[in-house]
Amino acid sequence: MNIHAKSVGAVRYVGSRQPRKEDGRLLTGRGQFTDDIRLPGMLHIAYVRSAAARGRIVSIDMDAAREMPGVHAIYTQADLAAVPVAMQTFFFTPIEAPVTLLADGRVACVGDPIAMVIADSRALAEDAASLVEVVIEEETPVVTIADAKTGPLVHPDRDDNISAEMGDEDTREAIQPLLDGCAHVVSTRIRHQRIAQSPMEGRACVASPEGAGEMTVWIGCQSPHLAARYIALVLGLPAEALRVIAKDVGGGFGLKNIPWREEVAVIVAAKLLGRPLKWIEDRFEALTASSHARDQDVSLTVGFDGEGHLQAAWCDYACNNGAWPMGEDANIAVHMFMWPAYKLPAYGFVTRGWYTNTMGLGAYRGPWAMESLVRETLLDKAARKIGIDPVELRRRNLVYLTDQPHTSTLGIPVTDITPGECLEKLVASIDLAAFRKEQVEARKQGRYLGIGIATYIEPTGAAGSMAPMTGETVHLRIEPTGKVVAMLSTHSQGHGTATTMAQVIAQQLGVAYEDVAVYEGDSAIGAFSPGAAGSRQGVIAGGATWRAAEMLADKVKVVAAHLSNASVEAITIQGGMVHVAGAPEMTRSLREIAEIAYGEPGRLPEGAATGLEAQYRYQPPPMTMTSAAHCCMVEVDAETGFVKILRWISSEDCGTVINPGVVEGQIAGGLAQAIGQVLLEDMPYDARGNPLAPTFKDYLMPAISDVPDFEYLHASTPSQTIGGMRGVGEGGCIIGPPTLVNAIADALSPFGEIEELVLPLTPARVLDVIEGRDISGTRAHLEGGASAAVEAVLPVEVAAPAAAGGIDGDWNMILKTPMGPQVMVAHFDTDGSAVSGYLEAPEGRQDFAGGTLSGRQVKFEMKVEKPMKITLKYDLLFDGDSMSGKCKMGMFGSAKVSGERA
Amino acid sequence: MKPAPFDYVRPGSVEEACRILSEAGGGATVIAGGQTLMPLLNLRMSQPFVLVDINGIAQLKGVTRVEGGTRVGPATRQADALGDKTLARHLPAFITALGHVGHYQTRNRGTIGGSVALGEPAAEMPATAVALGAHIEIASIRGSRMVPADAFYIGPYMTVLEPDELVTGIVYPDWPDGHLVLFREVAQRPGDFALVGLVGALEVEGGVIRRAGIAWFGMGPTPIRARQAEAALTGASLTGIDAPGVARAAVADTAPFDDHHASAEYRRTVGARIFARCLRETLDIRSAA
Repeated sequence: MNIHAKSVGAVRYVGSRQPRKEDGRLLTGRGQFTDDIRLPGMLHIAYVRSAAARGRIVSIDMDAAREMPGVHAIYTQADLAAVPVAMQTFFFTPIEAPVTLLADGRVACVGDPIAMVIADSRALAEDAASLVEVVIEEETPVVTIADAKTGPLVHPDRDDNISAEMGDEDTREAIQPLLDGCAHVVSTRIRHQRIAQSPMEGRACVASPEGAGEMTVWIGCQSPHLAARYIALVLGLPAEALRVIAKDVGGGFGLKNIPWREEVAVIVAAKLLGRPLKWIEDRFEALTASSHARDQDVSLTVGFDGEGHLQAAWCDYACNNGAWPMGEDANIAVHMFMWPAYKLPAYGFVTRGWYTNTMGLGAYRGPWAMESLVRETLLDKAARKIGIDPVELRRRNLVYLTDQPHTSTLGIPVTDITPGECLEKLVASIDLAAFRKEQVEARKQGRYLGIGIATYIEPTGAAGSMAPMTGETVHLRIEPTGKVVAMLSTHSQGHGTATTMAQVIAQQLGVAYEDVAVYEGDSAIGAFSPGAAGSRQGVIAGGATWRAAEMLADKVKVVAAHLSNASVEAITIQGGMVHVAGAPEMTRSLREIAEIAYGEPGRLPEGAATGLEAQYRYQPPPMTMTSAAHCCMVEVDAETGFVKILRWISSEDCGTVINPGVVEGQIAGGLAQAIGQVLLEDMPYDARGNPLAPTFKDYLMPAISDVPDFEYLHASTPSQTIGGMRGVGEGGCIIGPPTLVNAIADALSPFGEIEELVLPLTPARVLDVIEGRDISGTRAHLEGGASAAVEAVLPVEVAAPAAAGGIDGDWNMILKTPMGPQVMVAHFDTDGSAVSGYLEAPEGRQDFAGGTLSGRQVKFEMKVEKPMKITLKYDLLFDGDSMSGKCKMGMFGSAKVSGERA
Repeated sequence: MKPAPFDYVRPGSVEEACRILSEAGGGATVIAGGQTLMPLLNLRMSQPFVLVDINGIAQLKGVTRVEGGTRVGPATRQADALGDKTLARHLPAFITALGHVGHYQTRNRGTIGGSVALGEPAAEMPATAVALGAHIEIASIRGSRMVPADAFYIGPYMTVLEPDELVTGIVYPDWPDGHLVLFREVAQRPGDFALVGLVGALEVEGGVIRRAGIAWFGMGPTPIRARQAEAALTGASLTGIDAPGVARAAVADTAPFDDHHASAEYRRTVGARIFARCLRETLDIRSAA
């Protein structure tokens, strides 16, 4: 099937540094961003936001603002409520916090939108917004995770401030004896600061109501298809009534995975007012009121045997979700992906998300990146403690290709990961011994050099296990002109998908790269895909275009063979020309073939469809793993605590590299964010819940002078997908932080360990380590607040009499899974102490048997296939007409179960 | 981020500008390069009724030699000043400090007067004016006056400038040819305001320091003159200077603060080190020469 691509002389576009198709318009200021949309009659929106972190809204006085000329409407939640909205997560599950588009009687964070002003211009809207007087009865806010554990409820109708919870405290009892028996036990704690996502272009939305209930929406998003599906779902609109367009978007990073409160409010207001409306987020809003990221507190303890082999590990993870997260998140992925690349026999964890009166959290490039940061920094700490070279420690524990297939402690199967191979390639490219020698010499002169190495794997191209994570569609055609048009489900916020997909098409079809036009960024073309989410487009859309181009090439060959009275095998396509083996005089251009295919159906083979078109939707394997090892060298100024990055080498394996420039751009962008997270960026809150870095004067983004030139090594082990690509979008942001922290820790090793890593590592915090005192004031600050050592306040189980009236019959049951709550009907039939029954959800019904009843406790097991093969172990306690308990879900840990008699 | 409504005027002379400022009764703000003011306007942290654009006033631009010193017009662009031969010849410390103000792009718009008059305590140019002993030339319809730079600053972004007054010049006294320049700053990124920094000049004659002018930035609510260090250095022989001791004296005059970028303790600790390092290196260059 691939003869044309492999034939001598075919242009190998895949693997070449083609200039990006997007660059011409972007570099000359001709991109089309949402703010470039100007519609007749369009009005502009400014939001009135809360200056208080927590409290009851006493009054909203809009009289003066409404009287301003040019003001058309001012809406509060009471107005928007005319259109019912049920906000959902990226996974299309309900948001559990009582989130409304605008504040509904209470505010829960600074920046909470309270009212929207609609005026002739944004300036007028801001003028009017400043005249809206909001009186709030302020309450003491819950700001930190420690506050959340002991403070009042962020959402008064919920049971506690735990937004999401997974894992199992009980497993600690199994892990602790294993740790006790270890030759070396190493612990670490990391407090990751809050990140403001800061895309170059903030959020933006233009909504234009058209005709009978139709709507066109331009929005800064990561997939117009996902945005369209999301908007239709949360508003209950028919999908055909909605078109979403997003041609150019200046960065997404997860923030733009789904339209959030402000964007949905624009759409609702446009419906109410019947006019096109525009909202462009400004930088102040972007920093303080766009979904933040990270803000985690994690402790990891790992036991090693005398030779440094991993024995057991325990992790306690907490994440400050803020008031209105874009999905309550205990970040189960941190635990799922912490160890699959390492041979670790036993792992246990508890993981929780906490509500606070701060801006809500959203996904951010490598949302689970903490697994690499905490593991890789702990491994280096362990190497120093045990007295083993950090590379050697990894060699003893990594899962090499020769160790595979391998299944992780939590049940993740790995079959083709190459972190060890990437590490060997990396180590071979640097002279470690020479660096160590230079390091020793430098220390004698009071110069502190450090080297950091880290390895990781990353799940990419996920498809088939979670609602939005699915395949990609390409519609491909050769026009009657002989030029090629591709319409894709992809979306680029800087990813260069038009470039890489055109390279694949040009190579597989046998045409010039310049002759391929790629259209994307419009829900009216392509088909559903979540776009740039989870490092997936190169893998999945790459596979789709790969196959579609082959299908179309086959069609061309069939037509050409028929016209030439030759066999299909004799036809090749190169450079837009269709050749017949042994008959050069029969060569035709694609244009000639296309003109016949479209215009002269009588000359086509009998039964052949006219035109030259192909469509393919690629559903790849459920997950494709990418691996990498990075090395960073730094010099730390021991007098000032400043870190200078001297060199950074990336050794990654993203399978088939379609365009090295695009791949390296993705890695570099992620590494820049990594450098920002380790050294510069920070969105702290004060005790009153005020964000302290509301402008770029205080929120320090890495600039060109802070980011070195990176060096790249590509391992290129093809994956199991069509084309053999592996995802590379998030990797730099995941592997970057531990690589840099390890280099700094190595430089600081003559002074001591970074006992507790508090990010960012400002010069003052580096000096803390060098001088062994609290110069930065970090310890005083952390200990001055509520004690971080306060344990989670867990509901106490009180003994109750056995279920009155038995448990037989139907129960409405809710299972809190990592992808959101699942509502189902549970049916139980008891026979003495034996229990059988079924669970029924909209997706289907599954029976179970072999359960046991003991007092008021019921235990039963159920095997499920999706999202992967796991056994669910239910352990339920019945109390009259209600029940509660937990469900152990294999690697997903435990989920809470609650229910009531139907 | 749109500014609140304001009237815009572009006077052609200092007299006209002063009249407008006087008539506005405190409701006017002067704009030159706008590198700080525009963000403040857009954030509505500054909401003047009248914006007085001084870019049309020719006499506020340029560098001139005056008796015993150099006068810099406040509307002189930072980029122009950086390339000015008179400043390079007479005020090397000024040029060194100016190279750390903002970025290449912002220096094309930003002005010397804007930086001096804003009074950002962590900025280079106010401290430079204090260290070199500059005078701020001020005009209003009530007349004109000269204020020594170290009496000009009274708090963060606060100066003695009255609402009806306009800075019309900054006059830097001459330092003798061959004087030494002290400059060191610690900023998280190039172009950022300093966590801690110092700027100064030393007049040396016959191996003895005859005059010292040194000021800190980022070390308190205003630029802070290192008076104790100046006193310790003045009259000292180059070979007998206890750099760490002078640095300690220099830090003793400061009043730094905590923010989320650095603590007061960091500023004091590192301030003493960069002061000593800067002094040592500057004097080493001198003795090697």
